[in-house]
Amino acid sequence: MGTRTGNRAMQVLLTGATGFLGRRVLRQLLDEGCAVRCAVRPGSDVQSLRDFVGLRRWSRAETVNVQLANPEQCEGLVQDCDVVYHAAAALSGSASNLVMNSVVPTRNLMNAASEQGVGRFVLVSSLGIYGSQELRRNSLLDEKCPIDPAGHLRDPYTYSKILQEEVAREISQESGLPMVVVRPGVIFGDERGAMSHRVGLQLGGLLLRMGGGQRVPFTYVENCAEAVKLAGFKEGIDGQVFNVVDDDLPTGRQVLRKYRKAGRKFRVIGIPQVATNWLARFNEWYSERTEQQIPAVLTRYRVQAMWKPLQYSNSRAKEMLGWHPSTSFDEAFEKTMASGA
Amino acid sequence: MTEKRIKIGLVGCGQIADAHLQQIRRIPWAEPVAVCDLEPLLARQAAERFDVPGQFASIEEMLEVSRPDVVHITTPVESHRPLAKLLLDAGVHVYVEKPFTVDADEARDVLDCARRNDRLLCLGHDQLFDPTWLECRERIEAGEIGDVQHVESVLGYPLHGPFGTQVIANPDHWVRRLPGGLFQNTISHPLYRVTEFLSDDQPELQATWFSRFKQISFPTELRAHLRGEDVTGSLLFTSSTKPCHRMTRIYGTNGALEVDLNSQLIRADRVDRYPGAFAKIEAPWRRVCESSANLAQNVRRFCKGELHYFEGMKQTFLRFYEAILEGDEGPVSYDEILRVTEIMDRIFAECRKGDSERSEIKRRTRQTMSGTQTKKHSADNPEGLVAELSAGNGSQTV
Repeated sequence: MGTRTGNRAMQVLLTGATGFLGRRVLRQLLDEGCAVRCAVRPGSDVQSLRDFVGLRRWSRAETVNVQLANPEQCEGLVQDCDVVYHAAAALSGSASNLVMNSVVPTRNLMNAASEQGVGRFVLVSSLGIYGSQELRRNSLLDEKCPIDPAGHLRDPYTYSKILQEEVAREISQESGLPMVVVRPGVIFGDERGAMSHRVGLQLGGLLLRMGGGQRVPFTYVENCAEAVKLAGFKEGIDGQVFNVVDDDLPTGRQVLRKYRKAGRKFRVIGIPQVATNWLARFNEWYSERTEQQIPAVLTRYRVQAMWKPLQYSNSRAKEMLGWHPSTSFDEAFEKTMASGA
Repeated sequence: MTEKRIKIGLVGCGQIADAHLQQIRRIPWAEPVAVCDLEPLLARQAAERFDVPGQFASIEEMLEVSRPDVVHITTPVESHRPLAKLLLDAGVHVYVEKPFTVDADEARDVLDCARRNDRLLCLGHDQLFDPTWLECRERIEAGEIGDVQHVESVLGYPLHGPFGTQVIANPDHWVRRLPGGLFQNTISHPLYRVTEFLSDDQPELQATWFSRFKQISFPTELRAHLRGEDVTGSLLFTSSTKPCHRMTRIYGTNGALEVDLNSQLIRADRVDRYPGAFAKIEAPWRRVCESSANLAQNVRRFCKGELHYFEGMKQTFLRFYEAILEGDEGPVSYDEILRVTEIMDRIFAECRKGDSERSEIKRRTRQTMSGTQTKKHSADNPEGLVAELSAGNGSQTV
């Protein structure tokens, strides 16, 4: 596809541009010479976005205040766009909020994009949507693995991402809108450290390290942004899905060790892999017995999906997107620590 | 003997619908049969997560296919009147999430419709059925604090929580369109905890609202004082303090009780039994004993699985469903529903009146200042300036 359409710079629409990943995608797209229309919510901190990308680049960017949950507002938004990058997503809140702020906007935007004949729709999804609970320990999780068939049994965020992809796929198939899906692992970097749920769960001042020997599918935010950018440019990848994880993934235990080395202190209780299932079993039993006085946050289903030791592959992204995580995990971690995240 | 059973439908699958469905699921003989939302994706997520067999985008279709006995309305308040009337006319009983309606005129209309159709209607005054509140009521009725004289009710609002952030971010959010703005959505909770002790239909009231945050364009704080024939009350809604209290303090002629709904605690203040310095020892000792008893009670309730945030909601549903099955009156009287809605209208009207008066004072002050500036340029006349300002401000205080 390249970054030029005829004599003009490629026009793209980017949602979620003020977000952690989105602002890096924006910077990289502007560096490629694209004209970028950023869909932002009314009241978003555009000044901070402008400062982040720098005034020199900003001349090729524009912002449009829009509520993506409103289909009428999506119609004009995608006009004349060659590619739509949809990186906006709600990260927390109740399932209904997540659906309203992630799935509904995706449907509206895709409907508008297919009507306007947009050349490609790049959906930023999540590595979490796989039905990894069905996989054997230490097996390979790649793009061929099936999506979790019972998303409602997962946490609300993962459920919303599963629903989002399902809706996106339906629209793409029905309307013929070319779509590329990027499924990043745990994105980390400045502003957002590497202390993910995949490492452990915060309980008050304690960190329950879940397992510890399993690899955490990290991707450094700048590496991930590059993969997302490439997903809009490369020819011949319509309909493809790309898992985005870095090379040399550390285990949860190694991440904690690195944090300690960097001078961070945690009160950690290590839950051995085998005990995570028993903990989940107890949580389920107690929750059911007390009519959810404490909700069943930790279930066997979720434990299996989240903390099972697996191997992660990024070979498809490397082969078809020509992507290589240019910053190694060690270097990225140091940068993240230096930023104070 | 027929098995006790009631079929429940729900309209509006947003955040509060989760709480409704969770609590309905705790009643073994209540069966959620359908959920409905104009947005099919919202209906779908509610149906999947709570294992509800029917999901619909049309109420008429839901009524026809699933045939619920009761329908819960958990949509934004603007739609409560048309939805409630449609459902009541269709012959189902209706549970409405607070706030009841946009204003008291709408409330009267809906209540008339319920009477006309001989269907029961219940409003979510659920904190009145929270076990801690019920225990406090029992203790007051047993005469522990004598006659109630004053009630202070506090609601801390998590403005930067999941719902508040949406209200802030979206200028078109339905909450921003309400006559009482942010307050209209939640103020009924602390208010009905006051009106429970006020017998007056129309207590005197003073109210004001304002914002503590420069970047937020709508009021986020509200203060109200109510004066009834026998009892007075005050209401504090704040979004600038932490923790977010849900607390009521009831003052009587012989002591006071403080109900903390978050911690499920009741604290008592009693008249000192010992004189002078001895009282300073007795008071903390009483606190120690009371805290020990509260701790023991909450540990007991924790072990029995009775510490639920929405326990009051479950108890309200239970009473409402039983009233339907047994042909009794519902747990919240129609008079009380109307009275609380009317008082809310008056509170918001009073706040808006205050806003207009303040704007007018500002306008006149600006006018006077600019007039004075001109004068000051033409003649150095400080006495005249003071006289002008005083005349401009009249007798009102800024």
